[in-house]
Amino acid sequence: MNLKQTLSARSGVSDRIRDWWAGAPMWTRWLVYLLLLLFVVFVLPTEGVASIMSPQTDWITTLWDPIGIYILLALGLNIVVGQAGLLDLGFVAFFAIGAYSVGVLGREGWPFWGTVVAALAIAAISGIVLGAPTLRLRGDYLAIVTLGFGEIIRIVARNTTYIGDSRGISDLPRPPSMFGLDFNDVLDASAFYYLIVAMIVLVIVISVRLNKSRVGRAWAAIREDEDAAELMGVPTFKFKLLAFFVGAMVGGLAGTGQMGGVQGYIQPENFPFILSATILVCVVFGGSGNIPGVILGAFIIAWLPERFRFLDDYRYMLFGAVLVIMMIVRPEGLLPSRQRKAEMQEGTGGMGSMGAEVATPTTAAPEVGGK
Amino acid sequence: MLLEIEDIHVHYGKIEALKGVSLQVDEGEIVTLIGANGAGKSTTLKTISGLRPLTSGRITFDGKDISKVPGHKRVLLGIGQSPEGRGIFPGMTVEENLHMGAYARKGDLTKDMAEVYDLFPRLGERKKQAGGTMSGGEQQMLAIGRALMTKPKVLLLDEPSMGLAPMLIQQIFKIIEEINRRGTTVLVVEQNAQQALSLAHRAYVIETGKVVKSAPAAELLTDPEVRAAYLGGDLAVDEAANDTAVDTTPRNGQD
Repeated sequence: MNLKQTLSARSGVSDRIRDWWAGAPMWTRWLVYLLLLLFVVFVLPTEGVASIMSPQTDWITTLWDPIGIYILLALGLNIVVGQAGLLDLGFVAFFAIGAYSVGVLGREGWPFWGTVVAALAIAAISGIVLGAPTLRLRGDYLAIVTLGFGEIIRIVARNTTYIGDSRGISDLPRPPSMFGLDFNDVLDASAFYYLIVAMIVLVIVISVRLNKSRVGRAWAAIREDEDAAELMGVPTFKFKLLAFFVGAMVGGLAGTGQMGGVQGYIQPENFPFILSATILVCVVFGGSGNIPGVILGAFIIAWLPERFRFLDDYRYMLFGAVLVIMMIVRPEGLLPSRQRKAEMQEGTGGMGSMGAEVATPTTAAPEVGGK
Repeated sequence: MLLEIEDIHVHYGKIEALKGVSLQVDEGEIVTLIGANGAGKSTTLKTISGLRPLTSGRITFDGKDISKVPGHKRVLLGIGQSPEGRGIFPGMTVEENLHMGAYARKGDLTKDMAEVYDLFPRLGERKKQAGGTMSGGEQQMLAIGRALMTKPKVLLLDEPSMGLAPMLIQQIFKIIEEINRRGTTVLVVEQNAQQALSLAHRAYVIETGKVVKSAPAAELLTDPEVRAAYLGGDLAVDEAANDTAVDTTPRNGQD
């Protein structure tokens, strides 16, 4: 297949870049980080870029939502799916919990940053509440339970009068002006854009630190073989719970970063199942477990439908086709990590032991045949 | 007695996989548990290492009741397991796999790493290779090496011969003997009864969740019932009688 060859040639390039990066000295890395940040702050949101990237919609608004929001959500889900290997199909629940916490507490008169701190705590706790009873399940079963959780949150929101039922909450608190950014301008999303860039940078730093620590090693071990991880003395349950905790917190952060849009309102239908699925697509499409890959994946998934707005609804057909082709020719994602690639080759599918463990005395037999 | 299992029952849902298994492992021994596919060998090991909860019965290790201790804490007590189907970390390099073995303990690892590389020179040649890209035999070596990195008092091996060529099986079994000689107690579960009985001091035979026989391994090698069920009948009588630890007979059994 021609396409496949072209793509694998490109994978050679990305391998080389990764190797160069792995060997690059500290100052080079910091220089690259700085250049990227300058690019994101000063070049990306300018008119010139906008005319190429998004001729039909307001580029800065698009950069903030969906692109920024998707990247933030994908980074959060990447901790759960990419690093710990737990398939979560209800990630949007934490996004909703973050947004609703800001909305409800703001209505009670809390200052904006107070609501953010509380929202993070509430989201993280709900991660624990979801995880504690369900993380004993594996693979498909965990996916089904998390999917249910996502739906429960949305349906509860729609049917609870206190939080505005299907009308949702309007007049969400806005961040106070800072660094010359005005969050009250309904026509200009640039303040929100810079806020979400700051949030993304923060989450990247936390993700990278975690990944390089003992926690990251434990997650990798759980993802690759949970039983073996336990046999190495990794308290697997605790670490899975921690992954849910951190992931939920990032999801909640994205919820507070959304602030109900520039218009300042949220409603239950902003948090459909399809959003959970799309964010999962961002992670897998980009390269599950690899932070640059996940960011690139989220960017492309969020941006493509906006860019091809002129195709009307046909763009979604095209979008679907792109996804199908990608998964056939490059199942490991656009920019996979080396470790993830090796896992894929070994045949665990790159997402931990996705196959459910059916408890029978002969559990091992089919596994052995598979290898 | 280093490890003592008394009348353990283990259920998978409603199915009773172990119906009262008892066995003992003394310090310095090599003990083997043989039996057919599905008899409960792996379940027994998993229950000892804490991957499976037991319904009733008792596991005592080093004089301490560990029946309710979670798996990751049993590692610290000195129970190291090389899991079934090798179960290495495919995306990690050989070196990273071995480091995972020492996850639960602190301190300098260079000496322990050197010891593993000394037992398995093959692993030393492939430190930077991803575990998942190695051959079956190498993965088995890595799984055993990784278990050794936990500094076990008793090493549990789940079918080390599975899916390997006869030459490699011999090599692995020789190394197991060497590990034991260096002072680690070994409990090995095997379908390959011939090899396992030649290696072990004592043996247990498990059938559908129950221990049906226990005796010194050499006795079982000549036991007519065991021969009929696990050693391919009488065809190999003479060979088996003259058997030493280094065995050239191809494997019997079904795997």
